[in-house]
Amino acid sequence: MFSTSSQRKFWTFSDEGELAILREKHNLNYIAKHGTHIDEYQRYNFFLSPDEERLLLKQYELHLKEFCKRFSPPMPKGVVGTAFHYFKRFYLYNSTMDYHPKEILATCVYLACKVEEFNVSIGQFVANIKGDRDKASDIILNNELLLMQQLNYHLTIHNPFRPVEGFLIEIKTRCSLANPERLRGGIDEFLEKVFLTDACLLYAPSQIALAAVLHAASKEQENLDSYVTDMLFREAGQDKLAVLIEAVRKIRSLVKMVESPAREKVRLIEKKLDRCRNQENNPDSEIYKRRMRELLDEDDIPHTGSSRMSLDTSGVTQVLSPSAS
Amino acid sequence: MDNDVTNYTVIGRIGEGAHGLVFKAKHVPTGREVALKKILIKNLEDGIPVNVMREIKALQLLRCKYIIKLYDMFPRGMSLVLVLEYMCSGLWDMLHHSQQELTLPRVKTYAQMLLKGTRYMHAHYVMHRDLKPANLLINHEGILKIADLGLARLYWPDGGRPYSHQVATRWYRAPELLYGARFYSEKVDLWAVGCILAELITKQPLFAGESDIEQLAIVLQHLGTPTEETWPGHSELPDFHKITFPESSPTPWPELLPGVEVDAVDLVKSFIMYDANKRIPAKQALRHQWFHNRPQPAALQDMPKPVMNKLK
Repeated sequence: MFSTSSQRKFWTFSDEGELAILREKHNLNYIAKHGTHIDEYQRYNFFLSPDEERLLLKQYELHLKEFCKRFSPPMPKGVVGTAFHYFKRFYLYNSTMDYHPKEILATCVYLACKVEEFNVSIGQFVANIKGDRDKASDIILNNELLLMQQLNYHLTIHNPFRPVEGFLIEIKTRCSLANPERLRGGIDEFLEKVFLTDACLLYAPSQIALAAVLHAASKEQENLDSYVTDMLFREAGQDKLAVLIEAVRKIRSLVKMVESPAREKVRLIEKKLDRCRNQENNPDSEIYKRRMRELLDEDDIPHTGSSRMSLDTSGVTQVLSPSAS
Repeated sequence: MDNDVTNYTVIGRIGEGAHGLVFKAKHVPTGREVALKKILIKNLEDGIPVNVMREIKALQLLRCKYIIKLYDMFPRGMSLVLVLEYMCSGLWDMLHHSQQELTLPRVKTYAQMLLKGTRYMHAHYVMHRDLKPANLLINHEGILKIADLGLARLYWPDGGRPYSHQVATRWYRAPELLYGARFYSEKVDLWAVGCILAELITKQPLFAGESDIEQLAIVLQHLGTPTEETWPGHSELPDFHKITFPESSPTPWPELLPGVEVDAVDLVKSFIMYDANKRIPAKQALRHQWFHNRPQPAALQDMPKPVMNKLK
């Protein structure tokens, strides 16, 4: 149930301002940590600004959508929705300069496959990735634990897809709307776009689902307002209805504002990122490779001998997660 | 973040699971005893195993007195450590080492605890798929809790998705699984509950096959050759035509459970049905006459309090 879920308790925020504050905080933290050698006025010439990070992440959300769409075998919608949630949650508490979005993107989709019981092996998974597949699988597996930790192990995601089915069943049985199945096209299109917005960090899945249904109805020149006011919220009271109407309006306006970032801008940001990213987390850097080797060596568990010591492999947690603590 | 290994003092090793070691430890800030289950990820081909993921998801969802609690988690190098409620004993130990403690009133109470945990799981659309005495743990207060949800998964009430049939330990495996069914339901747990209940009463496993084929043979021999009436659709199961067994008629239940009172037999046999849809749901079983008959289920203060030190 969403109402008792970690999604509602920890990952549904009051407004966009709250999201902006979190994101900016991690941008500033990164710069404070890595930018001491750079003159204050020059910092954003070298580092990404919060706006640049936003733009970059928007671009990678488009990549995420495309990657899932082209994935073979075909991926259920729930996996895509869950991957989007993970990706957005991760970057509420991390900077793109610490963890490159292309690496986190793949890890999010991989973890979502497991959690949503869409069982593909790592081999099958990386077959969908262009370029060095062995490297990709190393990166994904190395990041999996980090991602889980950053999600605070809140793995279960409530997506809007099931509420949509509920609404459709109810509309079919209780409304006079002819052939409700024709709404599907509009619903799917809306939900695809909604994941390119922050709606899933701000609203309940059922609110998003209802926005999708109402949007699809208006596209078909139909009006379901009376379904909402007279059936769905008949006993709920005016104040609750007002909250819902405002949520639906806001979700629809978020979707309306979705646009692709300008290509040239993104290209420049990516170039900048190559220089300002945290080399400790760059799989191509020497420091990363050395740390990974150390991690492997240190973690050998002695299966015999003193059990008291075997949990204790000191100092390695920090390597996986420099930003935690 | 509070979840870090420095908050725990490791007291000793409890056991070895499929993916790593289990330790007994003390959470220093609270003094609480916990079990640390360390899952080594380094050498696993596909990263964190799906069954670990399932266990985490299931335990986060289920908050019930009769299901083991997951307190916390933290990474440790290339491992993931789950912090679980510490349980000092289990039903398996009870059955094998201290049978004299398993009096009828106590058996009834364990059965109620098991059924309450099962009722809760099924109300949340989680099927355990591997219920057996070794996965039913008992804490210092004597409370039985369902553990090891590594095979547990969410199911869809409409039965629209195929699942693996290689689940559940053989003796407790429902016949549809033995015939390779891919579409099954939480009712597989009810079969297992019936087997466990019989075992608690007689102190002997109900159907103890040495191999999957023998397991099926034993079940068929006792319940009789299935018919379209006792088991609708059985002939369409994937492995049904791979093997044939001699025709047999059902063994009368009093022979199967000699010396067992009528009500207990009635409850066991309500679980041990070929037709999964006829197996008695946990909720309904809790209202069975057997629990109301004398002797009454034991009160918690009369349950065995394990102090057994399982540390190795």
